[in-house]
Amino acid sequence: MTAAAWVAAAAVLAGAAAFATGADAQSAAVGGASAVPDITGSWERVGPGALAGGQGTDTRTPPPVPPPPLKAAYLGEWRARQQAAREATAKGQPIGINWVNCLPDGMPGMMQGPFPMEILQTRDQVTIIQESFTQVRRILMNRPQKKSDEVDPTFYGHSVGRWTGDTLVVETVGIKEEVRYQNVPHSSAMRITERIRLAQPSVLWDEITIEDPETLEKPWTFTFAYRRMPNYTLLEYICEDNREYIDEKGLQRMRLGGPAPAR
Amino acid sequence: MQRGRGLLRRIIVGVVFLTVGATAVIAHHSFAVFDHSQTVTVTGTVTRFQWTNPHGFLEMDYRAADGSTKHYTIELTSINMLSRAGWTSRSVKAGETVKAMVAPLLSGEPGGLLLEVTLGDGRKLVSPVPAANTFTRTPEKELR
Repeated sequence: MTAAAWVAAAAVLAGAAAFATGADAQSAAVGGASAVPDITGSWERVGPGALAGGQGTDTRTPPPVPPPPLKAAYLGEWRARQQAAREATAKGQPIGINWVNCLPDGMPGMMQGPFPMEILQTRDQVTIIQESFTQVRRILMNRPQKKSDEVDPTFYGHSVGRWTGDTLVVETVGIKEEVRYQNVPHSSAMRITERIRLAQPSVLWDEITIEDPETLEKPWTFTFAYRRMPNYTLLEYICEDNREYIDEKGLQRMRLGGPAPAR
Repeated sequence: MQRGRGLLRRIIVGVVFLTVGATAVIAHHSFAVFDHSQTVTVTGTVTRFQWTNPHGFLEMDYRAADGSTKHYTIELTSINMLSRAGWTSRSVKAGETVKAMVAPLLSGEPGGLLLEVTLGDGRKLVSPVPAANTFTRTPEKELR
């Protein structure tokens, strides 16, 4: 064997070893003996407020989301806004929300569904894809969290996670102030902590706690539940022809008479 | 016992209604713009069955009382919901004569929300509208 061939063979072996190490680390992180739960796959929200109408396999679905424990300075305005939205809806003139403009929920709203979501576990990242609006969030594993003023505000924020026993604990900061769940105001200091675990082999719970020293009196905690969808592949969702719009009064309207003009 | 069961059933129905009712907000937009108190029937020719998000559309021409042809725009749900309910992009075809049961727009504009459609071959397809039971079906009334 020539020297060049030896070098080539060594390179192949080294490559294979590197590949094996990577694969071992992967299996240890995802499904090995000391293993964390395998939550990879498709999931559909169940319980109160879910599109599936509470058709869960688990009768122990979590209670509905409680009202936000807003500080007095914010509570009155929030209640008035919610009341105005209910009255407008009752009149058949609903106030436009983010979805009307095809804007996604961001965090934590995307965890409420409404469509199925897919979780992908890899060694360094847990990725969650929500079918509606093709929303994607990335949870960086075993990495230090950034300070609120070190991140640029986004819809999904900066999420870091770690497994604590059978629970994936995720911390998120850096959510845009315009991205509001249930219209609840928050500051740039908002922090979301999630405890994600299998309540049953095919039932996933995400306990979400929101803290915000500026707007909240105390932490706001609620839980979303999901059932496993073993044979479901997420569908595409592109806001291709949105005929709804928000008019000058802030009300939702529908454009009639055919598809949007060719672009 | 019978009475007890009746009460239990009413409670269950009530709970299901409340739960499903709560889902009305979980959609691309509010369905409050559509009339929940009556339905109209649109029989005519499909000019386009549009398989898009955030909603699918059924564009139809129908014959008005004065003999003219008028256009009506029917909104469907997200095509993802339609897919999960068994619909495909080929479920309705352009040129087909269909009969659509629609919750009309409250604004009076010529458009509405599809509740169900009867195809040319007589098959009936139900649209997977959230909280569909909150829409009152009234006796068939042809749009003219």
